[in-house]
Amino acid sequence: MSRTSLQRWAFAALPVVGLVELAAHAIQTRSVASDPDWEAARAYVASQAKPEDLVAFAPRWADPIGRQHFGPGLATLEREARPDETRFARALEVSIRGAHLPAFEGWRRASVQDFGSVAVTTWENPAPAQVIDDLVSLVDPQRLRVSRGDSDCNFVHGTPQSGNLGYGPAVPGDRFACPGNGFVGASVVADLDYVPHRCIFAPPPGNAPLRLRFADVRFGHSLHGHHALYVEAERDRKGAPVTISFKSGGSTLGTVLHRDGEGWKPFELETSSLAGQRGELDVEITSPGGDRRLYCFEADTR
Amino acid sequence: MKLPSLRLPNRIGWRDHAIGASLGLAYLAWLLGTVRSLGFPRDEGVYFHAGTEYARWWRSIVERGGDAFQQGAIDSAFSSNHEHPALMKTLFGLSGWLFHEKWHVFTDASTAFRLPGMAMAALAIWVTYLFGARAWNRRSGLVAAILFALMPRVFFHAHLACFDVPITAMWILCVYVHWRALEVRSLGWIVAAGVVFGLALDTKLNAWELPFALVPHALFVQRHAVWRALKAGRIALPASLVSMAVLGPLVLIALWPYLWNDTLGRLQWWFEFHLHHDYYNIEFLGKNYFSAPSPKSYLPVMVVATVPTVTLLLFLVGAMDRGAVAFRRVRAWVGKLLGRTVEGAPPRDPLETDLLLALSFLAAIAPFFLPKTPIFGGTKHWMPAYPVLALFAGRGFDLVAAAMGRALPGLDRRRQLATQALLFACVTFGPLAITEHSHPFGLSSYVPLIGGTAGGADFGLNRQFWGYTTQDAAEEYLNPKAPRGATVFIHDTTWDAWARMQEEGRVRGDLRAVGAPGEAMFSLVQHELHMNEVDYSIWIADGTDAPAYIVEHDGVPIVSVYRRP
Repeated sequence: MSRTSLQRWAFAALPVVGLVELAAHAIQTRSVASDPDWEAARAYVASQAKPEDLVAFAPRWADPIGRQHFGPGLATLEREARPDETRFARALEVSIRGAHLPAFEGWRRASVQDFGSVAVTTWENPAPAQVIDDLVSLVDPQRLRVSRGDSDCNFVHGTPQSGNLGYGPAVPGDRFACPGNGFVGASVVADLDYVPHRCIFAPPPGNAPLRLRFADVRFGHSLHGHHALYVEAERDRKGAPVTISFKSGGSTLGTVLHRDGEGWKPFELETSSLAGQRGELDVEITSPGGDRRLYCFEADTR
Repeated sequence: MKLPSLRLPNRIGWRDHAIGASLGLAYLAWLLGTVRSLGFPRDEGVYFHAGTEYARWWRSIVERGGDAFQQGAIDSAFSSNHEHPALMKTLFGLSGWLFHEKWHVFTDASTAFRLPGMAMAALAIWVTYLFGARAWNRRSGLVAAILFALMPRVFFHAHLACFDVPITAMWILCVYVHWRALEVRSLGWIVAAGVVFGLALDTKLNAWELPFALVPHALFVQRHAVWRALKAGRIALPASLVSMAVLGPLVLIALWPYLWNDTLGRLQWWFEFHLHHDYYNIEFLGKNYFSAPSPKSYLPVMVVATVPTVTLLLFLVGAMDRGAVAFRRVRAWVGKLLGRTVEGAPPRDPLETDLLLALSFLAAIAPFFLPKTPIFGGTKHWMPAYPVLALFAGRGFDLVAAAMGRALPGLDRRRQLATQALLFACVTFGPLAITEHSHPFGLSSYVPLIGGTAGGADFGLNRQFWGYTTQDAAEEYLNPKAPRGATVFIHDTTWDAWARMQEEGRVRGDLRAVGAPGEAMFSLVQHELHMNEVDYSIWIADGTDAPAYIVEHDGVPIVSVYRRP
């Protein structure tokens, strides 16, 4: 086609774009994953998933739909609000629109099963961590004692408390109630990226240390964990830092600092000298300022 | 039988007003037909209340006479929502009183409150048509008006008793009247320029940006007269500008009784409130913005993501054509300065229409490139730019149609009309389908270029704000499924909005709203990135992370509904 012809017919690009846009709209609005597709994927995952496997949904915005179809038996709180993916040897990733979670980069893709518009990819972790004890699961009066300053925080079995935007992490029914309205308990915190993490909510009061003593902890070669503050408490980067120290048998295993704006921050402490032993683990949390230090941490021995 | 000719006279006149008004009325009918399916955003509840108070005060002038003018009486009515001017709220309230309470035209009070906003959308379409028809030709005006109407975000906001579409209408009306006043220079048009500017000021704060377009334009149009006067030691200003400077503030104050007392102090408070406005949360490209600086890419990305692509391409064609004309004019002017003759200089437009439209467009969008301008309103805060965008798109269509005519010579009149109709269909059916499909999730909807609603979610663009989708959760799940007297955590929806939805039968009257998930049998989460924390709170409160139901748009979660096990 000559240049003159091209110029002559260039106008046609506009109606073509209009028609392509119309066609794209028609395709996009008709290519939604159907309920039967989700249910078929759920049945497959239910038949394949072991308790220690991760079940995850991609893209992240599809997570509510995944939870609705898969239910709390498969989309458990432990999987949904996981600290990270390192503890999982295998993951069943349920995805739409060809999406994948960045966490699985570097994992081996073992299989892919398609259920209409929903795909289930099985990923294998090349180097999974062996978790020995998870502190979040030890938030129990048989295994944990909590004190704030000189006062003990008693374990109570109440009703959960929650609120609207800005309330902070929900107060679980099972919790250690501290004098002066504070509490320590397992909750779910929204990190700086609004990703959920199940953790031990342990806000330091500012004028005294908050102490947690875990009994009969089985140690490994490291203490692996994360800590953060509730997103609205740290996103302005105006609050005092929070320090968490881990001790066992009178010796300090390590001290980690969390500054506002660091989000869900990982830490790893060397515990090889205690590997294979059982013992108490003392955790002390302090902050020079107590204003809205809605702090949460999780850790496991591995 | 020979049909009478439908050919319109060349002169733009009453028939064009009839065409513009018809387009506007058709849009108004469409809005009225879809208005009940749209829930109540947070702000609307406030404006319903304020409008009712304002209208009550205006009525009290008749009932109470001089007592109504006591400061106490004025302030008790107009203190409500005094951070925004009064014109639209007064119209909302009067419309509610007349069309719902008195004449029972609308069963829903909300529809009566919303009518003035919808009428403003119709006005914007009318003026856009007239502007395009006068500036270029009827074909340009027609396509401009339709492409403006077929922007999904415009369609969404046009339903609401809010100020964003009204200021869009007042903005383009003000620009149009200013343009006509410079052309006609009659006392009527000059006074109209001042009055309309005053009405725009009394509609929304954006109107204060208009002088950045109108003043340089008027001075440029009348530059020779202004210069001659300066040389003679006088100051000569365009009469329409003087009218705006004098009548504009007078109209603003006259129609906003709150300013009748402590005028300067209250004006100062008004400006300071908006200059130091709180930042609210808004998601953009997967990140939650809650304070300055705002991302400079926000406006261009959101325009590309929400305005139909064919409209934007036509805008580019039209704008580039006008830009090329301006370039040739500047080149000819520079050549003249240098004493050279430049071939092909375009004729001078005494009204400098291109300059006016360009300045108007830039004045509407410029604040959103400043780092301190909050972006929480999504696209609605720069909507005054959209009629101009549509006008350039209309011009673009005209050029494309002309090029098609040149490419297909020798067609008889009937075939010419048929090909033009086909071209028109090609560029409007997409926007029509997208706009129609977006309702009532206009804030969640994105254009096919970025993948539609799901594409918007993939890109991490805002899903909604104002908590207006509770009505969808009620219609799809709560109304048919919830037990009698069940409690519902209504999340981002206001108590006023919930009460009105119950009053109008949109939400079952026996359901009881509560303020915390822990108190509720059913909990709602209107999905926005920063609202995720509410989701997680419900997991602990209810002991489950699985919603019982999800309101979706094209497979994207809009509202999760949890049922306590």
